[in-house]
Amino acid sequence: MATSWASSLDWIGRLDSAVSEVFEMMLERSCVPIQDTDIVHDPISAQIFFSGAICGECLLFTSRTVAHVTAGVLLGVESGPDSSMVEDAVGELCNMVAGGWKSKLGSAEAACAISPPKVSTDPISSVLPTSEKHFRRFYSFEGCVFGVQMAFCD
Amino acid sequence: MRALIIDDSAVMRKVIERALRQSGLDLTEVMQASNGEEALEVLRGDASSPTKISLIISDINMPVMDGLQFLEARRDQQLAVGVPVVMITTEGSEPFVLRAIAAGAQGYICKPFTAEQVKARVMPLLQAA
Repeated sequence: MATSWASSLDWIGRLDSAVSEVFEMMLERSCVPIQDTDIVHDPISAQIFFSGAICGECLLFTSRTVAHVTAGVLLGVESGPDSSMVEDAVGELCNMVAGGWKSKLGSAEAACAISPPKVSTDPISSVLPTSEKHFRRFYSFEGCVFGVQMAFCD
Repeated sequence: MRALIIDDSAVMRKVIERALRQSGLDLTEVMQASNGEEALEVLRGDASSPTKISLIISDINMPVMDGLQFLEARRDQQLAVGVPVVMITTEGSEPFVLRAIAAGAQGYICKPFTAEQVKARVMPLLQAA
């Protein structure tokens, strides 16, 4: 995966920072980057599109099991949230990560709109980017693994 | 006190309510709306209530009627006059903030947020109201 362009712009570092902030502030959990891992089984994903000065998308994906745990922590509930709340939570996490990443850009680049999150349970392979400009990062909090993929228009 | 939370995400409505309670607010009732249109209906109904809504928290990006349109409609229809409105949103760019303030928002919180940040924004507004 060609990511030198993203490294030079520090877009990867900004994503790591945005993810860390979302988990620290909203879930009171430490969340760190980890090495690339296999595509998750029984996936759930949320996708947000950027339009304007930046054209592209942010895809947050994980397993249903991890999504269930994450939603519970976000809501502060002991018993498991129902499936609609789990999907809602995954969409909101993607929304906050994408918004946080955007807020760390320069003012010219940040002049872009972000779409509402689109949640899906399709296989992750069906949403692999076709553009050259993309990168993918994996993160873990308390053993729960999820990925974020950023892809941009060529 | 009674509060109105407007967000198209049921999860975020619950998260915001929890943050308000952690802030030490004595919430007797939390009304909820999933967009600006629903929120206007709540405020029209609240006009005849003996205990009025004292605080409005609203997202910006919502279907049907977004948070900025809600602010403008609320001002035009003279609903909940004098009640502080705080926007909580991922959209923290300057044009959105300026438009929200011009339309009547008194506070602005960017997602992600902590309960402490919510308290720091909301408490002074309630004390001044």
